[in-house]
Amino acid sequence: MVKFVLSFYLLAAVLITPTLCANVDFAHEVVPLLKDKCIECHGGDKSKGGFSMNTRALVLEGDVLVLGKPEESLLIELMLTDDEDERMPPPKKQKHPLSEKEIDVFRRWIAAGVPWADGITFAKERYQPPLKPRKVKLPKGVTGAAAVDYLVRKTMGEEKTKAVSAADDAVFLRRLYLDVTGLPPNDEARKRLATGDLDRLEEVERVLSDNQAYAEHWMVFWNDLLRNEFAGTGFIDGGRKQITGWLYKSLLENKPYDAFVSELISPVEGSGGFMRGIKWRGNVNASQTQAIQFSQNISQVFMGINMKCASCHDSFVNEWTLKDAYSLAAITSEKPLEMFRCDKPTGKVAKAAWIYPELGDIDPSLPRDKRLARLAELMTHPENGRMQRTIVNRLWKQLMGRGIVHPVETMDLEPWNEELLDFLANTLVREKYDIKSVMRVILNSDVYRMQSELVKQKEAGKKFRGPVSRRLSAEQFIDMIRSTTGVWPKPDGNAFKKGARGGQLRVVMEAHGLKKWDNRPIRSVFTPRDLLQAALGRPHREQVVTNRPELFTTLEAMNLANGDALANILREGAVAMMKKYGKPDELIRRVYAVALTREPSQQEWSVARSLMGDKLSADGTEDFLWMVFMLPEFNYVN
Amino acid sequence: MNNNWYDESRPGVTRRRFLEKLTAAGAATMLGGAPRVVASEKMGHPEAKADACILLWMGGGMAAPETFDPKHYEPFKVGTPVDKVISTFPAIDTAVDNIKIAKGLENIASVMDRATLIRSHYQADLGHILHSRHQYHWHTGYVPPVTVAAPHIGAWMAKVLGGRSDVMPPFITIGQSLEGHGESEELKAFTTGGFFGSEYGPMNLPYPEKASQAVKPPEGMSANRFARRYKALQEAMKNSPKGEGLSDYHQESLLRSMDKAHRLLGSKDRAAFDLSLEKKESYDRYNTGRFGRGCLLARRLVESGARFVEVATEYVPFYHWDTHENGHTTVQRLHKEIDAPIAQLVKDLEERGMLDRTLVVVASEFSRDMIMEGVPGSKAKDQSRAKTSVLKEMKHYGLHRHFTGGSSVLTFGGGMKKGALYGATADERPCMAIKDPVSIEDMHATMFTAMGINPKTAYEIEGRPFYATKDGKGKAVKGVFA
Repeated sequence: MVKFVLSFYLLAAVLITPTLCANVDFAHEVVPLLKDKCIECHGGDKSKGGFSMNTRALVLEGDVLVLGKPEESLLIELMLTDDEDERMPPPKKQKHPLSEKEIDVFRRWIAAGVPWADGITFAKERYQPPLKPRKVKLPKGVTGAAAVDYLVRKTMGEEKTKAVSAADDAVFLRRLYLDVTGLPPNDEARKRLATGDLDRLEEVERVLSDNQAYAEHWMVFWNDLLRNEFAGTGFIDGGRKQITGWLYKSLLENKPYDAFVSELISPVEGSGGFMRGIKWRGNVNASQTQAIQFSQNISQVFMGINMKCASCHDSFVNEWTLKDAYSLAAITSEKPLEMFRCDKPTGKVAKAAWIYPELGDIDPSLPRDKRLARLAELMTHPENGRMQRTIVNRLWKQLMGRGIVHPVETMDLEPWNEELLDFLANTLVREKYDIKSVMRVILNSDVYRMQSELVKQKEAGKKFRGPVSRRLSAEQFIDMIRSTTGVWPKPDGNAFKKGARGGQLRVVMEAHGLKKWDNRPIRSVFTPRDLLQAALGRPHREQVVTNRPELFTTLEAMNLANGDALANILREGAVAMMKKYGKPDELIRRVYAVALTREPSQQEWSVARSLMGDKLSADGTEDFLWMVFMLPEFNYVN
Repeated sequence: MNNNWYDESRPGVTRRRFLEKLTAAGAATMLGGAPRVVASEKMGHPEAKADACILLWMGGGMAAPETFDPKHYEPFKVGTPVDKVISTFPAIDTAVDNIKIAKGLENIASVMDRATLIRSHYQADLGHILHSRHQYHWHTGYVPPVTVAAPHIGAWMAKVLGGRSDVMPPFITIGQSLEGHGESEELKAFTTGGFFGSEYGPMNLPYPEKASQAVKPPEGMSANRFARRYKALQEAMKNSPKGEGLSDYHQESLLRSMDKAHRLLGSKDRAAFDLSLEKKESYDRYNTGRFGRGCLLARRLVESGARFVEVATEYVPFYHWDTHENGHTTVQRLHKEIDAPIAQLVKDLEERGMLDRTLVVVASEFSRDMIMEGVPGSKAKDQSRAKTSVLKEMKHYGLHRHFTGGSSVLTFGGGMKKGALYGATADERPCMAIKDPVSIEDMHATMFTAMGINPKTAYEIEGRPFYATKDGKGKAVKGVFA
């Protein structure tokens, strides 16, 4: 019987193969079939008949197919056979044999050489991240920053990682100011450093209480994450709203994170731009409608969940399904939301629902604003540890260079220190969602003060060996330069405008109750993204961005070496500094102090003096400034 | 202060001086957190037919019936009903018997025997025309909004193939300013390396005649001073005490990039950017305007090792090819601007023996029609600024609506057939691609295949594969390859 079927098939194969063999889409065609038809018995921890399809290697080991030759492969033969004892999948598992179309997928797959996608395995080895908060056991009396140290030390001890010592005060001070305010230590702080009066705990309190500098700096981080910009795609058709004013105010007053998230999901005045998404003129693919963008963005930003696969079909890389993605989308959708699979209508209408039913659910019959309010409640539910861990992980990454879960995009990965992550998440809740309190705990730890890890790239971040140096963001880079020279930009034409675009300084003035701007320094976060900032990695903010580039590129270097934008900033700065400082030595000392928080070394003095000459000149000063600002030491928060 | 609670020292960490090593460090890729290629072991890349690609971009929607796919010609006459008009230029013969193109393109007609003309390209109907959105689609293969920043096709070439030379940037765009008009932000969104990062992004040269400035020291700085400044930096780095607190790979990324930049700025290839060095006779042949000079610049850059160069007739809403009124007159001017330089580019490449290994592609985001917006059945809004049922004045005469159902792509060299015609559109309105239609995905697959890139190439970003052509589904058009 088997033989007969086989020879029949051979005939068919000759006819069919030439047109079919060329193409198969592993992720979209093969994986769903494997999942549906095979994996129950031949995947995960099951390997019936000693055959597992968990990985490509295992499939090949199983000896059921001949690469490139479907017609000679046992796998196909077993799918085609009428012998119910032989047939795969077995009739008692799947009532109907595979359809001709489904078998063709396998034929093409074998013909194409059994392509497989990196990282796809059906093995059950994936880390299962917890949802709810978990208590962390600590020795009596160990709390706050000391708990961070205790928990890190525990892992470092266990992993026998090379120990590192604390950074000196100057390194610490520069790191602290840049991390919290995005600016260099100010004159008073440097004076305390010079006189040996520096108290690290007090410095931490000082930077945390500089609300404005903190808001201006962290605005960059949140703008990336909430893809907020005062110019950009979508504005042309009114397809986008900014949240600049709301965001600035929220950071200024250190709004508790639960309220912050609630307002982004269930909007108040000025906060609706995030959940609204971006609308481009014309039709939009079903997996990128504004409702689906909402589902993707709240998942990614607040929970480190990648819902992007699942907005088109059940995900192959995580557990989320099309239904999950649409459930969240349906919460915000004004109209009944039909589900589309790979841009084709399924005929099913999505039902608004929350993705962690163990925390509660949403009544889909509620009106939209009530559904959103309920979603905000569930997202900020005290038992939603996922949301808490996601934000504290991001904070840790901003301050330490790498996430406890890394990369920070997905919280599905195993943290290098689960207890530390849990502890920080618990701290957030205990401190009533006060972000600065969590920062304080990190900043006051000895871990934060360690020297940065020194490793080869391929080892970077594999084990915790201390903070990882982080590159200045485009905005920090320019603000550092302007802090050094004392020259700040003029407001751009739209900065005070009312309307959808621009107005970024108007909202700052409103937040501070100012009537006039009065030549206050304008930080780069409030200047348009020019070519220099773009080259240095300020994203276009069309999408959510969770990472800035860590390394330099040739095009950036070209912008730095000969671009007009930087040249002009340096020229202006050089001229202003010449007026202020009489002698080259004064100027050199000032630049090293502000830009690098230190004195020049003997050799540096001589390099600087040779560039500057005996008398101050615009050219010499400009070149000297350029030289300092191109130093790796300047460009990284070390 | 309890500074040393872990250990007394940092043994095992050697403080190395790496600057000396750097020159020898080579060009190993150093991108941390960069997208990883999804290794699909059997995939492989096709054998490259071309080493370089020049995309001549007719921004704003080049009307096929007015250029490479002439139809029934209706001269201007007051009182002619507009639905009688399909082309406003008569057809002329070309070097190939069965190919006729629009009058005004005589030079291109004379090199048609080196071309493959695709007349059945078509675009997605996005329901409502926004040029920059269609341009985004054409340049990345994805319709925005997209879940991650999609790389430009030039970025794919730079990423997968790398540069052809040590110093020349692999991906260069010419002739399109990214500032100063209503759709600037939208153009910026796709004129980018996308998630590949700026290493693979374009070097943008909006004004060809000012291109040399991009590879010179900043204005007002002598070459000597420029060199001295860089030398001082190297000196300072050697002596920077705190540089030691940084991992080598961080330091090296800055130093290597700076080194590469300075190598280009100091190399003889820099001359390629300087149009004033072109012989006058040759310069004049190209000098029909900004686009013509852009073509010349493209030739010089490709000669010097650029991988992918795009030259645009600048897109500015309602200007140039974006004819919402007065189309005939405007296109007459555009013919003059593009005709000689395109033909000259082909001849120059041929004369230098480079045409066979350089793929030249002339394309646009869609075509135009006298009366139809989008495609039949589309909900696209009528955006003509010269609405009328009969011709009354010259401004009524031209193709003022956007048509996505059939457009022309002209290719030269790079392994394509010579003197060949592929596909066809209907002779009567709607002039849909009716024979062998070619989608954007398939057009990209064709270009990628010619360049030796598998259209299924994927990189993993945020844990998901992202393909060179959407979902890896683009198929090269076999019929155009020689």
